[in-house]
Amino acid sequence: MDEKKNYPFHELYLKREWSYTTGAVLLTLLAIALVIVTGKAWGVTGSFGMWGGWFLNLFGANVDAWDGFKGTPVSTYNFWMDNTAITDLGIVIGAFLAVLLAAQFKIKKIKNGRQVVAAVIGGLLMGIGARLSLGCNIGALFSGLPAFSLHGWVFFVCIFIGAAVGSQFLKKYFI
Amino acid sequence: MAEKSLDCLGEACPIPLVKAQKEMERMAVNDVLIVNVDHSCAMKNLPDWARSAGHAVEIEEVGEGEWDIIIQKLK
Amino acid sequence: MSEISVTGKIARSGATRRETPEERQRKATIQISAGVLLIAAIVAVAFYSQGANPKGAYIWIIGIGLGYVLQRSRFCFTASLRDPILTGSTTLTKAVIIALALSSVAYAALQIKATGMNLETLEVAKLPGWIRDVGIHTVIGGFLFGIGAVLAGGCASGTLMRMGEGFAQQWLSFVFFVVGSVIGSVLLPLMQAAGLYRKGAVYLPQFFGGWVPALIVQFALLATLYVLADWYGKKKSGEL
Repeated sequence: MDEKKNYPFHELYLKREWSYTTGAVLLTLLAIALVIVTGKAWGVTGSFGMWGGWFLNLFGANVDAWDGFKGTPVSTYNFWMDNTAITDLGIVIGAFLAVLLAAQFKIKKIKNGRQVVAAVIGGLLMGIGARLSLGCNIGALFSGLPAFSLHGWVFFVCIFIGAAVGSQFLKKYFI
Repeated sequence: MAEKSLDCLGEACPIPLVKAQKEMERMAVNDVLIVNVDHSCAMKNLPDWARSAGHAVEIEEVGEGEWDIIIQKLK
Repeated sequence: MSEISVTGKIARSGATRRETPEERQRKATIQISAGVLLIAAIVAVAFYSQGANPKGAYIWIIGIGLGYVLQRSRFCFTASLRDPILTGSTTLTKAVIIALALSSVAYAALQIKATGMNLETLEVAKLPGWIRDVGIHTVIGGFLFGIGAVLAGGCASGTLMRMGEGFAQQWLSFVFFVVGSVIGSVLLPLMQAAGLYRKGAVYLPQFFGGWVPALIVQFALLATLYVLADWYGKKKSGEL
């Protein structure tokens, strides 16, 4: 209550959360701005495979010769020429900026083994799923479905079913 | 009127919400549940859920990025 | 919508942990100052990226904007898919459908501008937006992705956003997201060999033989989903 009196400006303009609909409208505008500037749609996970391949390459694995990486050599990978990589880093830093300006930054440590298991399994499944479906919730759903691609609709239905199954797992094993 | 605290620090969505729902089921009318969260999404979806379920809700910021969600069971 | 408000109407005995207002204010000042410094750093990176990529600064600033908006609005694709099942709430689901509908309007305009109305000879891969191969691989991938996003507590954009918020759990899931991406990249050609990945995208205006039926189908489906989500949410919360 005190804070509301002392910092009405901060509270109102840097802290209070926006509605989901505001978020929806602004995300759409930014995503479309990206298409207009670069000619390519917003994606997130396209770069993740490249980063993994680049990392393996450092340790002498000849990733360029692998089937899955043909056409996208990792040995000549340049972070700043990869639009997706730049926006990915931007999202992390942009969110960091938002919490700092709201004075709500806090490092949340991992509390228990259950969280480790959830993060490892969840991360692996998302990585594999994103590569198989050629896009994630952004690349396939947010930049695919509105672009009148059938794969966006199919992905939408399947990610929903997956989320339903995941919720049951979560309730059963991770609470 | 009983009061119960639920420590959900470090828990990601939707665990605080599911835990709170479970706890609310066990509580009697007018009991108060205090959920301590540090997940910025939980401080939005927990109160949203509690309000739509017809309970009284208050949010107090107890630290940087840390909140007490105070829910009173009304029905 | 939730608001930060303590009216003191709910009587209670204890708070979890209380800092003095002075302490709170000091910490808040430190964080906001760090935020201002970060803005300076972001501007510096914008100049640097412009040197490294002709469109670097624009892309970088749009990325910063995406992260800022995702955090401020707590926008979460995972929750939009999960909450209807887990809690019966469809507020986020409706917001996602609104975003998809607005984007559809924009993409229709961009694509019509890019191709004229000619749907015969176009190369769909060159159109604005991702129009990609669809098949069993999409089904398997979407399903696995859905399970993973719920377990890890965030989808692709959500994981990145929460990394910025300081979640150690999401940093860990990001590492395995990258590992999974490498596995998936290796797996895809194997699936192709097994006949589970067939090349071929389906572009709805081409499929339906024109823009008019494609637009009708697209918006009719989105509108149906919106009404369904709204009705389901109201029913679950006892409004209906």
